[in-house]
Amino acid sequence: MMLADAIRAETWRLLQNRTAMFWSVVFVPLISLGLATASFLFIRSKMDGAMQTLPVELKLTASAVDLGQSLVDAAGGLANPGVLAFLLIGAATVFAGDYRWETWRLITARNTRPNLIMGKVGAVKLMTLVGLILLLLASMGADVAKGVIFGRSFTFGFGGEQAQAFGLLALLSYVRVVQFLLLSLLAAMVTRSLLAALFVPLVIGVGQFFLAKLSPLFGWQMGDWATMLLLPGDAFELLKVLIKGGMEAALVPAGAAWRAIAGLALWSFGPFLLALAWFQRQDLSKE
Amino acid sequence: MTSVIETSGLTKTYGPVRALDSLSLSIPRGGVYGVLGPNGAGKSTLFRILLGLIRPTAGEVRVMGQHTGDPAVTRRMGSMIETPRYPPYLTARQALRWLALAHGMGAEAETDRWLDRVGLSEAADRKVRGFSVGMMQRLGVAAALMTRPDLVILDEPTSGMDPPGIQEMRALIRSLADDDGVTIILASHQLLEVQRVCDRVAILNRGKLAAEGKVSDLTASGERLRLAATPLAKVMAVLGERGSVQDDAVMAAVPRAEAPALLRALIEQGVDIDEARWVGADLESVFMTETSSVEGGRP
Repeated sequence: MMLADAIRAETWRLLQNRTAMFWSVVFVPLISLGLATASFLFIRSKMDGAMQTLPVELKLTASAVDLGQSLVDAAGGLANPGVLAFLLIGAATVFAGDYRWETWRLITARNTRPNLIMGKVGAVKLMTLVGLILLLLASMGADVAKGVIFGRSFTFGFGGEQAQAFGLLALLSYVRVVQFLLLSLLAAMVTRSLLAALFVPLVIGVGQFFLAKLSPLFGWQMGDWATMLLLPGDAFELLKVLIKGGMEAALVPAGAAWRAIAGLALWSFGPFLLALAWFQRQDLSKE
Repeated sequence: MTSVIETSGLTKTYGPVRALDSLSLSIPRGGVYGVLGPNGAGKSTLFRILLGLIRPTAGEVRVMGQHTGDPAVTRRMGSMIETPRYPPYLTARQALRWLALAHGMGAEAETDRWLDRVGLSEAADRKVRGFSVGMMQRLGVAAALMTRPDLVILDEPTSGMDPPGIQEMRALIRSLADDDGVTIILASHQLLEVQRVCDRVAILNRGKLAAEGKVSDLTASGERLRLAATPLAKVMAVLGERGSVQDDAVMAAVPRAEAPALLRALIEQGVDIDEARWVGADLESVFMTETSSVEGGRP
């Protein structure tokens, strides 16, 4: 019950923070939908001129837009760096807000510290879920706009295989986003700083990006322990390949999936448990 | 007299600084209890320990018979430590609503009633980022009381308030203690207010307990015999270190029982006594005496 109170209070407070909600949850879906629609309109305007000069027999017959497949594709692309960076705004606000506004003292007296931390994590998970659902809707909206602008028909192929791929990819993307945002939790608890909660995960993310580029120099191979434990982004990409199947999946070494899951779990539970342990002993002298 | 708070040998150090130094204190249940002391005396540190925000370095503390930090106990407490702050994007009503949710309360929190009780009804829908210090204090008091606690800790509850606001706050505090049976512990630098509203006080100095007791007892112990007499030099010669000249009179620090003998001695010395009357000490003079008596004085 006290955990539910903590989640409810954190979520409610986040909802009142319209600036954070806009930038972390609404902005990316809105801008991606807007940019996609604008780019389709631009291409269409250029195409109209080019099409008129073509002989009738060479004019292309456009295929239908498969909204089911577009959902699957969108689910696989949810955890991109842009989405991570903007969701981080909301997460950092939740995780570091009570240090910034010196409001720990108002809530610590009536709940346990683990509950308060889990309440914050719960609120961020809900925010992430809403953000990703909006992104999926925006992606669908962009495909609908594409169909309408190019005069194409629509189909919705969402059979058992596609539904399974969609479910697994959406879940994997969600886990990857939450894993990344938990770095913000640890940074907030240790530094008590909103800026650190915002920038430390970004710095780690950029560092891991360059480490991934340099990994051949260290002799690391796709799917080996070093890569999977040090680079959660690579672990995520490897699991994505396995879910999508095909030729690429066949090249993944045996056992790599478990190593990738272990890597993602390490980077999810590690920061969370460290933050929890740190907060349990923390003197909230000022806050 | 049952105690709501018991501390024994309570010590808190921040590096080389001893914020609390073996503090042993017993605060009775019911009434209004003042914790006084100059800046750095350890008041806020004591409050933070009572609320489980920080852990003591050594010693024991029990709140309502339980260890601090136990949510079962802290859920029965309300507090306002220093000037409270709230997320600036919230209105006063939203701030209380947020805290009510955090405390597992629904409509029973009666947020509007508490906003009204602290005089913030008209500002209920204003963002707290525009609030003055006094308004933040009022909101902090409303937040502390909203949960219907048995024990309320208020750190400088009237700081930044105008005189009518101070008067209203004093009435509210007294009414909570007298009518609702809430135990209130407050710290304030406004000693006249403390004298008016508190039943008992503890005076801390450099983390130690300098004095403790009923306000009436503490002020009575500081009473002086005011002697308007001539020549003052002869009076001072008789009193020695027990006397001090103030305006045109001598203030004699003597027990009431010794007063007749003193007056006889002065008359025998040829002193003309125009007036002799007892002057009660106020809390301020007791405070000044107690906080300047420890070596090193104010930190």
